[in-house]
Amino acid sequence: MKIRIDKSACVGNARCWAISDELFPLDEDGYIDIEEFEVPAGKEDLARRGARACPERVITVIEN
Amino acid sequence: MTEAASLSELTPVPEHVPETLVYDFDMFKDPAYRADPHKRVLELIDIAPPVFWTPRNGGHWMLVSHSANFEAARDCEGFSSEVLPYEKMEELLEQMADESGRIPRAYPINLDPPLHGTYRKPLQGVFSPRTINELKGHIRTLAGELLDAVAGSGECEFMAAIAEPLPVKVFLGMLGMPVDKYPEYRALVRAHMDAQASSGASDAIGRLQKVAAAMRDTIEERKDKREDDIISMLWGVEIDGRETTQEDLENYGVLLFIAGLDTVMQGIGLGVRHLAENPDLQQQLREDPSLISNATEELLRRYTFTVPPRRVAKDMEFQGVQMKKDERAMLFLPGADLDPAEYSSPEEFNLKREGAHIAFNAGPHRCLGSHLARIELNILYEELLARLPQFRMDPVRPPSFNCGHVVGVESLHLVWGD
Repeated sequence: MKIRIDKSACVGNARCWAISDELFPLDEDGYIDIEEFEVPAGKEDLARRGARACPERVITVIEN
Repeated sequence: MTEAASLSELTPVPEHVPETLVYDFDMFKDPAYRADPHKRVLELIDIAPPVFWTPRNGGHWMLVSHSANFEAARDCEGFSSEVLPYEKMEELLEQMADESGRIPRAYPINLDPPLHGTYRKPLQGVFSPRTINELKGHIRTLAGELLDAVAGSGECEFMAAIAEPLPVKVFLGMLGMPVDKYPEYRALVRAHMDAQASSGASDAIGRLQKVAAAMRDTIEERKDKREDDIISMLWGVEIDGRETTQEDLENYGVLLFIAGLDTVMQGIGLGVRHLAENPDLQQQLREDPSLISNATEELLRRYTFTVPPRRVAKDMEFQGVQMKKDERAMLFLPGADLDPAEYSSPEEFNLKREGAHIAFNAGPHRCLGSHLARIELNILYEELLARLPQFRMDPVRPPSFNCGHVVGVESLHLVWGD
């Protein structure tokens, strides 16, 4: 499973980070600091929840 | 029908607005809205078009659906945050300053990109989740002190006792202002709130000048003697590559004042009213306080309370509706977060609800203080549930509300104990 984030469209709600600060790191300003990553085994549900929590809808889950 | 008589006048509907899109709603005075705001919001969603024109308050658009709000909030070219285009506004403010002295600007809330970003960027780190998390202990202490002061009395008017003082004290502490400024700021917040709840002209400029004047000494002191507070931090940031000035700091102070004080109070008031009316929910949260952060989010969705204004920046078609340049449009976020197309059974308070609300707006103007607001709300609910026994609405003194760009609680009488 992969997560892809439209980083330029992030407005800093940080709701993904509130679900998992490990999967969704923030930069100094509190905006998302990662564009794409493979979801580690066992973290799929957390990744999906993080994506759903984004009010701006800029996080896409790509299921394998 | 004395209340109905005090509604603002009806203005003629512009020719390009079809009758089917007109719905008569006074966002400041509608009697049903003032009696129980979010009940009326649910009704509006049910009976009014998702984007409608109201002939009240000079005539303006109301964006009610989630989809309309989400799209408009992200379309700064169509929906401008500038009451007047920037250059015109600056010209006007400079002219007025000749008579009334310098007028502080609440940048960047009333700017469009790219200038919006220029003035927002320096604040982002200061209001990032990490920086704000460090304030938790201080906020908890303040909330605890306020609650302990009323706990023994068995009743209180919650707005005056807790909801108003808490954010003002947090604000003064964060900025590094002396505590003896508290009564002055409390009075200014009161005046600001009264003005928010009316559509007419008010002494907004004079009030903003007073807000700036009250922080002027602290700003000057921190310039050479930095401390661990926001004013010191703002002396250290750059705006578009240049150092900040006394004027910039006063502007930012005014912004934080108008955007961050009464909003948090009203959020607290609306949330605590729901808790007071739902003893089972109180019990559930007392038994498992880890659920309180979910409750904070669901209360924000269920009782979304800000209505940011926009100016239509060009003639355009928006979601099938013809809009003309310089018409006003309200992002009716309370409607967006109760839209059944977006949330199943939106009227239900559901702790397990997933997905996101837009109580803090969407797009580049997303509430800069959202992380602070969330923490203040969350800590207040935690301390309230921990320090008071089951509380309920005072049956003989029902709550009263005020409505406008912020939907809020005027009075909230609670009772507890025997």
